[in-house]
Parts: sequence; C-alpha cells; structure tokens
Amino acid sequence: MTRREWLALAGAAAGIRGNAEGWIAPAPTAPVAIARCRSYNEDLAALLSRMFDQLGGLPRLVRNKTVTIKLNLTGSPALRFEGRPLGATHYTHPRTALAMAHLMGQAGARRIRFVESCWATAGPLEEYLLDSGWNVRSLANAAPGVEFENTNALGKGKRYVRFKVPGGGLIFPAYELNEAFDETDVLVSMAKLKNHSTCGVTLSLKNIFGITPASIYGDDAGVSEPNEHPTKGRVEVCHLGKRQPSKAAPGELDPGSSREPGYRMPRITAELAAARPIHIAFIDGVETVAGGEGPWIPGIRYVQPGVLILGLNPVAADAVATAVMGYNPRARRGEAPFVSCDNTLLLAEALGIGSADLTNIEICGLSVTEARFKF
Amino acid sequence: MIFALLLLANAAGWVPARWPSSDPRSLDLLKNTPVNCLLIEHAYWSGALNTRAKQLNVTPLALVRPGDDPAKALAAGFEGLVFEGEFDPAVVSRWKPVAVLSTRTQMGWNTPEPIAGTWQGLFPGIHVERDGAAKAAPTGAPWVDTNSGFLRFARALTEKPIWIANTPPPKTIYRVERYLQAICDAAISGARWVLAFDEDFWARLMRGESAAVRDWQRIVQLLAHFEKHPEWRNLSPAGQFAVVQDASSGALVSGGVLDMVAARHTPVRPVPSSKLTDERLRGAKLAVDIDPSILTEEQKQVLRRFTAAGGTLLSGPPGWKFPSAQAGSITLSKEDVDKLDAIWREMNAMTGRRNLGARLFNVAGMLSNLLVTADGQGRVLHLVNYSGYPVEDITVHFLGKFGKAILYTPEAEPTELKLFPVEEGTGVEIGQLVITGTVVIQP
Repeated sequence: MTRREWLALAGAAAGIRGNAEGWIAPAPTAPVAIARCRSYNEDLAALLSRMFDQLGGLPRLVRNKTVTIKLNLTGSPALRFEGRPLGATHYTHPRTALAMAHLMGQAGARRIRFVESCWATAGPLEEYLLDSGWNVRSLANAAPGVEFENTNALGKGKRYVRFKVPGGGLIFPAYELNEAFDETDVLVSMAKLKNHSTCGVTLSLKNIFGITPASIYGDDAGVSEPNEHPTKGRVEVCHLGKRQPSKAAPGELDPGSSREPGYRMPRITAELAAARPIHIAFIDGVETVAGGEGPWIPGIRYVQPGVLILGLNPVAADAVATAVMGYNPRARRGEAPFVSCDNTLLLAEALGIGSADLTNIEICGLSVTEARFKF
Repeated sequence: MIFALLLLANAAGWVPARWPSSDPRSLDLLKNTPVNCLLIEHAYWSGALNTRAKQLNVTPLALVRPGDDPAKALAAGFEGLVFEGEFDPAVVSRWKPVAVLSTRTQMGWNTPEPIAGTWQGLFPGIHVERDGAAKAAPTGAPWVDTNSGFLRFARALTEKPIWIANTPPPKTIYRVERYLQAICDAAISGARWVLAFDEDFWARLMRGESAAVRDWQRIVQLLAHFEKHPEWRNLSPAGQFAVVQDASSGALVSGGVLDMVAARHTPVRPVPSSKLTDERLRGAKLAVDIDPSILTEEQKQVLRRFTAAGGTLLSGPPGWKFPSAQAGSITLSKEDVDKLDAIWREMNAMTGRRNLGARLFNVAGMLSNLLVTADGQGRVLHLVNYSGYPVEDITVHFLGKFGKAILYTPEAEPTELKLFPVEEGTGVEIGQLVITGTVVIQP
C-alpha cells in the first residue's frame, strides 16, 4: 500500500481526509432528503420538488446554468430482468428523468443535457433511450434547452477534455472525457439503489464510473488514438487493468499495482468523482434489483424499496443510501456489502469529496430507520 | 374431379391442426374457431370423427406415414391425404396428397400438391442455454429461435400456401405463450404453423380444465387475428436490403443470414438465387450475394445492373461457402456460426444505422417483418414478442412520409396511432405489445 492510499483509508476511518501532504481536515457534508415513493405513477415532480426544498431549493443551484444529468443505463438495453421495463430494475427510470428535467427547467436552468456513455456504441443517446423504451420526444419537451449526448466517444463535441484528479490520483492521474463534462456547471448523478457485484453498492458515486468514454477506456479503444466507433465495454482497461487506455489519455500511475477489480473500481470511481465533482446526487429506490447491478449477475432479484434519496453531496447521499439498504456505510473490505472490494465511500471521503459518516449528515424527510429496506 | 379442384381452391384458406383424437365430441372445441382443417394420424382414423368434422365445416385430412395405407384413409371418408415423411415419388404421384410434409431440403416447391410443407422446424422462442439461463454478460439481445428466416425465403420461392408442421419435443410441457409464438412466427412470414400441442396441454384441454380452455381461447383469438387479414400472407417484403441465396447457400437453415439480419430488425427481402431478376431487386439499395458461384451468367448480369444503377453489393468472399447443416439438422453448429463472421461483419458495416425501410427501437426479444401493401403505397409491419412479457413503448421510424397508421392486435380493436415526423420520415409509438401487433401505415 502506498503512503497516499494508507492516508486515504486511515483518514476515511476517522471521518477525516488526508492528502499527499498528510494534513487532515473534516470531509464536507450536506443534507440528504429521503422520501417515500411507492410507484413511478406518483407525482414525481411534486415529490422531487419537495425534496429539493428540504435541501434549500433548486433555483439557487441551477438558475442560468448548464446542468448535465448523468443517467444510469448500464449494460445493453436488450437485456431485461424477468421481462420488466429497464427502469423498474437496473436503469434510471424515464419518469424520474422527466421529473428532473421539468424541475430543472422550472428552476431556470439554461441548458439541461442528459448524458450517458452508452453500452458498446457511439450512436446517438436519443436512439439508445428509444431502445430503452423511453419517450424521447416527451423528455426533449420537458423543459427548454434539453439536449442529449452519448459520452462514450466524442459525440457531438469536437474534443476531449482532460480532468485532473486532485491530489494526483490513485489509479490514473487524470481522465480524458467528453467535452460535455467541461461545459457543465452543475453535474447531477441519477442513480439507482442497487448492489454491485464488484463494488458492493452502486449509487451516485459509482454511476460516475460510466462517464469514461469507451473510445479511450474501452476494450477496443485505439492504442494511440481514440476509437470513435467503440463496440465493447471497459473491462480490460478499468476493471482489470489488462491494458492501458489510448495514449490520448494519461496511463496508470502504477502499472504494477493490483489488477483486482475490487481494488481498482472503487478507486477509479472515487477519483473520477474528485476530478469531475457531482453537485446533485439522486438515487432511485422505488423499484430496483438487489444482489447485483444488472440482469447479467446471477441471483439478482426484483425489489420495491419504495424510496427516493436526494443529496447535494454524493458521498453523504451514498452513505445514507447504503444505510437504507441495511448496510454500514463505513464497513471495511470483507464486511457486507464490500465483501471483496474496498469501500468506495471511504475512498471518496479520503479524497475530500464528502463525509460517509452518518453522524455528520443531516437527514430530511424519512429517517433511515423508516426508509430501511434490507438488500 | 370437381371435388378435387374445390379442395385445391380451399387449401389456401385451411387453418390446420394435428388432432390426436378419434372422439367426435372432441371437435366441439372447434366451434366458432378459425381451425377448419385437421390432420389425423392413423391411430385416430374414424368415420364418425370425419362425419362430425364435415358437419362443422372442418376438412378432415388423413395423415399418412410410410407404411400406412392411403386407400384405408380414403375409405374412412377423409377429404384428402397429407403425407408425412419420405415417400417414393411414384407413391406421391399415385395418391395425390394435398401436401407432403418432408424435410426442408425435400420440400416440393414446384410439385403438384397445393401446399408446400415440412415437419422440420424449431420451436420458436427465446433461446435458452443448456444451463437454463441466458449468457451472463451485459451484452447483446437475447437470441430468438425462429423459423421465420427459412419461411420468408420459402415465401419468396413459392406462391403455394406454406405449412410448417413441427411438433413440441417429446416430454416437454410448454406455456401457452410458446404456442402463440409458434403461430406468429409462421404467420408474419406468410405461412401457417400446423397446431400441435404437448400431451399435457392436450389432455387438460380434453378434460375441459379451465386454465387449458382459457389458453385455447387465446390461441383461437390469435388465429382469428391473422385469419381476418389473409391479404397479409402474400405481401412482398419491403426492405431495401436484399439477401440473394438459395438452398445450397444456407436459405433452408434456421439461424442463418436471414435470421441474423432479422434479429437486428433490419428489413430484408430474401431473393432466391434461382429467381434473381431486376424486378426482385427493384427498390433495393443494398444486396448481399451469399454464394456468387451458383449464379448463372444471366443472374450475374442482374447484379451488375444493380450495382451500375447505384446499388451496393456485398459478395461472399471467393471460395467461401456457406457452412452446410449436418444431415437431418436445420441449424448450424457453433463452429459453423463462427464461420459466418466473415460475411456478417461486412454486412453489419454495410447496414450500420441506416434506415432500410424502418428502424425499430425497444424491440429486444422480438422479431419483425416489413412488407409492402398490395397497392405498393403503404407498409405492413408485423411484430412478434417472444419475451413472454408484454413489451412497452416501442418506437418505429418508417422510411418515407406517411399519413395514417393503424395498429392491429389480437386483444383489441384496431387503433389509430399518432404519427410524428422524424429525420427519416414518419415515427409511430406503440404503447404495449403482448404477443403480436401489426402496423399498417399508408400515405
């Protein structure tokens, strides 16, 4: 373990952070709202609006801003679990996206751009959404200035933009991302309340793992230049470290470090969230899956926790969500849900992104106990 | 003679079922249903059954296997014979069956029987791996086992009614959805599946169990849906993408090129090499010639004119041969499927995201077939859902401007769909599809 990693985990354990220089300070926090929501047919806009109000109101966050909404559309839209709509299992539900766009527009956002690095394609996000059963026309008309971008390659942009990891990084020192992330004033992570087979949980932080373009970080990324027509995932570069990203992006800090996904993925997630900060963390637990992140994970099950979680700090929001799932958000490797991985929340806390300590987090609406649904 | 001619004329309207009973009372199930033709095995041949069938305007046909005596069948009052299995051509010629249900390779495309039929078929549905699950990876759509590629080729080859008469595997119990899918799989390709149920379902149906009767009613409802629109059966394919192949280049195989293209919902028109003409390629923009070596010089000229007029042609690599299925098999081995990669990658690159008639979204676990209406102006898009669950929010982008679209489903009255403009022409949205739906879109 490097000194930087030791500091990260040691600092995380105490609810404090360490940086390369070794100084420590309390990790930031922000309130988190929990609301009961039993069905996507409820008035989601009204519900979300109330939750934003509990957090201090939405207009102050987004008025005249470019809001980028990172969806969670993991895996091919062709893969359904028990034939259910994707939004009821492992994808962002279209009605939550519709409500979010509507509220952002009402709150005065200048531009609302939905983004996702779509599985194994650089085709338009709009078509990927159609393939996922979304009504793109409704979403486009939900507010003025709604746009769509597939961030798996250049998309409609002209260049990639380098985002440096503050403090130097744990796996990579910096990431090359779609230009949309540079044009962002407010980044919203719209996640599902789910387990993850490698990372234990996948919430607003882990959702950000998907901002990496497969053109650079994909299994079929070009060696020197990005492959603008990616057709594969990111397993070899990110999960397993079997190869380096395209030379357009900086390579790993230490190619001799562990290749274990349970080591790499939490670190990549945490440092991505540090490099490209999340301002609004939304976690949909109305209907979802437990036991894994998608239908390709054996043994997953459909569940209806009936909750929505919203926060202005992704680590705090994820800590609350993890607790709602029945886990200790500060659990160490080897303890559920981080059975075979490091705890992303603690790594993010150590990077100074936010506090994973429930005693530091103000919770509005339902209490964790009231909302708890054991995964 | 007149009777024989009438029989032939009626054959196009026959909705056939295998009927494993000699009990005349069993035919009560057929009252007010589209099923009007029964294939009855030797063990169930019965004058009383035939009499009752005729009273119900149902045509009883004797199913004759090698070793059965056709004379006995005719003596029992059957209105015709259906041969199933391998028969000496002289025997066929003597007894003049209405259909010979043979292997796919032996089907009588140009024989005197009014119906072209085969007993060989996959039982349509989502392909399940041997371990009972789909492959665990965040990739790709589930593969659908289907006969539709073969049937679409057959439809392009003959104007005869086509029967696919495969039966459920022994000791298998299917949910009713599989039977519904089998009906649709054939119907969207202009063919009919000869109803044949597993023993468990048949026994429950005969006992009048309410669940089985409900399932039967769904089957009847679905048959009625397709039989209300006989005009759909003989429409021509509408796609701008032509696949030129023949029996020797994989057209009789399930899981071959046509099925692979269909799995991507790329509208495709099968063109039998033996029937390759300028007319068959009219309107096509892309063509794949699976095996150039089997074309005559005249047929090669057709392809040259196609490319000279701006069409894009992809030919199988020199020396490349479509892998042939093993004797008795109608599917390819995994190794042979891998060999298709040579041509499949290029086909994918060629079609890409182009709209070649219609682009469909949110249709995983489904198959479709795009046809041209009889007046040449409209399009008929058949959709079949093999997933076992209703699919919601399907979007279709039709190539070209259209003014009116109607959705036909077995469960509901025809519904007019809202149209909206899209880059390629006209978009429609389908709220929910249970088993099948057909969009008829007109200018």
